[in-house]
Amino acid sequence: MAYDSSVTQMRMPAGCPLGPWPESVCVRLDAFPCEPSALADLILSPGEGKHWRSMPGVEKRRREWLLGRCAAKEAVRALVDLPPKEIEIVADPYGRPQVRYCGAGVHACGGSPDPRVPSVSIAHSQGTAVALAVLGTDTRVGVDLESLTHRLEDFEAIAFSPDERSLLAAMQRDLRQEWALRMWCAKEAVGKALGRGLTAGLLAFHITRVDRASGTIEVALRDGALAQCPQLRGKSLHVYTARESDFVFSAIIYRHYRNGAVRMRPSRQEILNYLLQKMGELTEDWDYPDPVRAESKLFTELGFESLDAVVLCTAIQEHYQTPMPFAELLAEIGQQQRDLSIDELADFVNTHLGGPAGTGSATRRVQ
Amino acid sequence: MPNMTESEVFDKFAQIVAKSLRIDASQIAPDTHLTDLGAESLDLIEITMETETQFHIFLPDKSILETAVEVFGPGILEKDGYLTEEGKRFLLRRLPGADAQAFVGEVAVKDLQSYFLKVSTWVRMIQELAQFTPAECQSCGGPMVASMGFRMKCGQCGQEITLRSGEELNREWVREYYDREYRSQAGAPVSATAVQ
Repeated sequence: MAYDSSVTQMRMPAGCPLGPWPESVCVRLDAFPCEPSALADLILSPGEGKHWRSMPGVEKRRREWLLGRCAAKEAVRALVDLPPKEIEIVADPYGRPQVRYCGAGVHACGGSPDPRVPSVSIAHSQGTAVALAVLGTDTRVGVDLESLTHRLEDFEAIAFSPDERSLLAAMQRDLRQEWALRMWCAKEAVGKALGRGLTAGLLAFHITRVDRASGTIEVALRDGALAQCPQLRGKSLHVYTARESDFVFSAIIYRHYRNGAVRMRPSRQEILNYLLQKMGELTEDWDYPDPVRAESKLFTELGFESLDAVVLCTAIQEHYQTPMPFAELLAEIGQQQRDLSIDELADFVNTHLGGPAGTGSATRRVQ
Repeated sequence: MPNMTESEVFDKFAQIVAKSLRIDASQIAPDTHLTDLGAESLDLIEITMETETQFHIFLPDKSILETAVEVFGPGILEKDGYLTEEGKRFLLRRLPGADAQAFVGEVAVKDLQSYFLKVSTWVRMIQELAQFTPAECQSCGGPMVASMGFRMKCGQCGQEITLRSGEELNREWVREYYDREYRSQAGAPVSATAVQ
């Protein structure tokens, strides 16, 4: 049995600090692909179905819950090919959604859990749902969605500290309302990524910077939020925010490493800085007349040989802990008999730190 | 308004909720959960602001468990998302009227969140905090009226007071509980009460 719908897969804009993140899918649903109870029969696992049927509350809540599940399952399915009924989303003891596989697909592999289990975050508001799923161990995700039609007077006084309000100070009324909501969404997304929501209090999620050009909002943890997640001490959490028609959307992805490090998706500039620094280290005693610049070409100007290129590429992959198709890149420039500048290399790394970059949204048919 | 009865508080709170969610107040019962009425996070903020204005109180901005964990230190009241026996004992003392049955067996932190979304929990919290909001001026006995921010002003002599925040009152309660009922029997250090 199949249902017919078009699902909007949101792509993070290329310049956004999150994207392209490797193997992440964001799905947004503005409407039901079919009648809600039929959808429930089609996509929910037996356990989820039972929960949905006995769920108390008004219709809006039940519908949005179902739409949120649907978006999450679509996002997971785009990464791991399993039928939606076999993807179960259960809350951990703190309430954070977790993906679990159930049913034939898992039994077929001997009941062992698929190591490729994405982290997922779900948000819904005013009949729209959004979900973000990301593969990778120890990856944390958070999304939030709020409607701009929800206008609150004096909302800033309760949600933000005086320092945070000063970030909004110079803006005009409409713009200010939008950015206040983006800041709110940023806090919610961080709370969700941490897994405890905003239980530590709104002011424990302190907004330090708002970049209106890229939509990035930086959040630092304080007090209770820091106690919940001490690894994030001194870290600035980059939340991507965007406005889409009447909605404000926010998302954060970061990764904890076992050694305690935390990675956020580096910007292109950060990648370029890293490459220049690495080149400096590798060629320390090569006695160039001029310092290595972004435009410097690896082979003709800097005297690289293919072995040097391999050393550099290996270092890059290790640094970002992400495999990238360097062999193809090197073969391609060999074939075309052209050179490669550090700038171009930065573009390559920027692209391959994640899936395909793109702006706008892609629509896809759900079977 | 220190002397409101539970049903007066309930009626007034139900009006606030109904107005904010654009529903009929008759849909609201003490054991209704605000999210079951369709409340989203921003609705909860709106309800919080309106409640503070109308009852002249200052609601806590974090959960009581969060405040308690800050005083007790990690791992004592809650471990890996589940309440410890110590945590259950604490919450049953702190949340009078809580259903003791709900604290039997495994209790996850998320189960507690749903308790805090219940209308009756809000009503009890409002009633408790309202005790700290004087109806009459302590110097002259005149009527107290709302002033700027979380301040009240005497309508007669003009004396101003600052309302105590729910967070501050929670923290005080937790510290007292920690000293009197936990520290002595658990042999825990005094230092936790000296935090901040």
